[in-house]
Amino acid sequence: MQSFMLSHNSVIKSVFLFVCCFAYSVYSFETNAQVIRVGLIDYPPHINFDEDLSKSPLYQYINTTLLPLGFTLKYVKLPRERASIELFKGRVDVLMPIPLENETMKTLSLPIFHSVPGLCFKKENFIPILSAIHRLDNLTIGVPASSKIVAGLTASKANLLQIKGENATNRGLEMTQRGWLDAFYHPSPIKVYHRKNPAYKELACSYFHGFATPVYIGISPKLPEKTFNLINATYQKAITKQSYEYYFASRE
Amino acid sequence: MKLLKIKQSIQRKIVFIAIFFSLVSFQLSADNIQMKKNINDITKIYMSSMTYIFKSQSIINQKNVDKSSLFGDAFIENIKQTYSVKYNEDFPKADHLAKKMLLQVMVEVMDDNKELIHDNEIGFKGVIPATYASQLSAKLATKGIGLTIKFTRTEKGIRNILNKPDAWESAVMEKMKTTPDIYYDENALLNGKAAIRQFTPLPMAPLCLGCHGVPGQNPLNVGKDKSQWTTIDITGFEMENWTIDDFGGGVSISIEKSVLQ
Repeated sequence: MQSFMLSHNSVIKSVFLFVCCFAYSVYSFETNAQVIRVGLIDYPPHINFDEDLSKSPLYQYINTTLLPLGFTLKYVKLPRERASIELFKGRVDVLMPIPLENETMKTLSLPIFHSVPGLCFKKENFIPILSAIHRLDNLTIGVPASSKIVAGLTASKANLLQIKGENATNRGLEMTQRGWLDAFYHPSPIKVYHRKNPAYKELACSYFHGFATPVYIGISPKLPEKTFNLINATYQKAITKQSYEYYFASRE
Repeated sequence: MKLLKIKQSIQRKIVFIAIFFSLVSFQLSADNIQMKKNINDITKIYMSSMTYIFKSQSIINQKNVDKSSLFGDAFIENIKQTYSVKYNEDFPKADHLAKKMLLQVMVEVMDDNKELIHDNEIGFKGVIPATYASQLSAKLATKGIGLTIKFTRTEKGIRNILNKPDAWESAVMEKMKTTPDIYYDENALLNGKAAIRQFTPLPMAPLCLGCHGVPGQNPLNVGKDKSQWTTIDITGFEMENWTIDDFGGGVSISIEKSVLQ
């Protein structure tokens, strides 16, 4: 009887030990497998590094979309110049948002939103409708050297002044604000022309509607295909149900 | 006896084939009516939204006023009310992807203009029916749902080259000179894909002539001596000197058949 009790206890102990080891190994495997590192690029008002991340609408949308998949999402803020390198090296799995104007990259299948280029003016010189291209005649308009310019602007008789260097956009805006340029071509003026931006209070921007560039969510080439497919399918479902652009437009 | 049986069998087959074809043609006709209804609804929703933008010019351009009626659900509610008054019928249900998407895109377009509309240091914002319609078309084109809407006119009178008519629209407008009725084409092509297209002519309205009419109708010239009148309208374009009897252009809507089905 006693030997039966001993053997019974040892069986229970063994089973308990086995369950603990199994649970731990499953837990640690799952935990490692489910970490998705999401790189973020400052792109106000969609991702705004100047405020709490939880207030950025693109963060909210993607977080809500991906959380039900059971991943642990780790967000990393990255400077634009380094972000693509981090993605290619696999140090982040996902990177957003990425306008694919000048580069090729693996992305989720649908764009998350579209950026529309435009011109920023000093408010007293504001031109609201850019299809009236004759109004740009003889204006001196700064253009970042790395940007692709829309046909509406190249067809005008404006004097286009190329601004070179890494910080061309900020310098161009400064020059416009100081009155050294009549206007500045911005690939996505929404990034600067918004109420939360204190830097360019004297500027207002109008848009070249009809010349939108799709902005995507980049995916690391090192992310396993199975994980990519899962994320992509979930993302497509979410976009079909309610697009990010509509989510953004209808927020309070 | 055998001959009679064969005759009866043939008769039964003929009856069966006749019933089958009437059912199929009934279904096709029902589909066609539904497609026409959808495309008509879209045209009227689109035109109601343009009317509402026109009516809202003072709210859009004024400083320090409540502008919440121009955004989100409130904007759609106002379009619904405008629709009911304009067409004396209930606003259609958003029971089709194209209608649902159109309403969403309207909200998105107004949100794109939100910063500008709220900018108290800018007077005229440039959000007028024509530019709103053009933004709506551009935005819809990015959605990839096979629905295109264009507010267009004969090539000679086009201000924005992106609204230039295509060959189908030019041909239809040519016909409109003699018969200015809604033109419906259920066997059209759009970008090489089977599509249904409709062109609804718009009569020139007094509201159009503030920009497209003669300098005397230009709001910028009100209260000024004739010698000081400008021929440039508020949007920056040369006025065309059109009259109320001129062709006002129209709304061209195309939906790929794959979307409608």
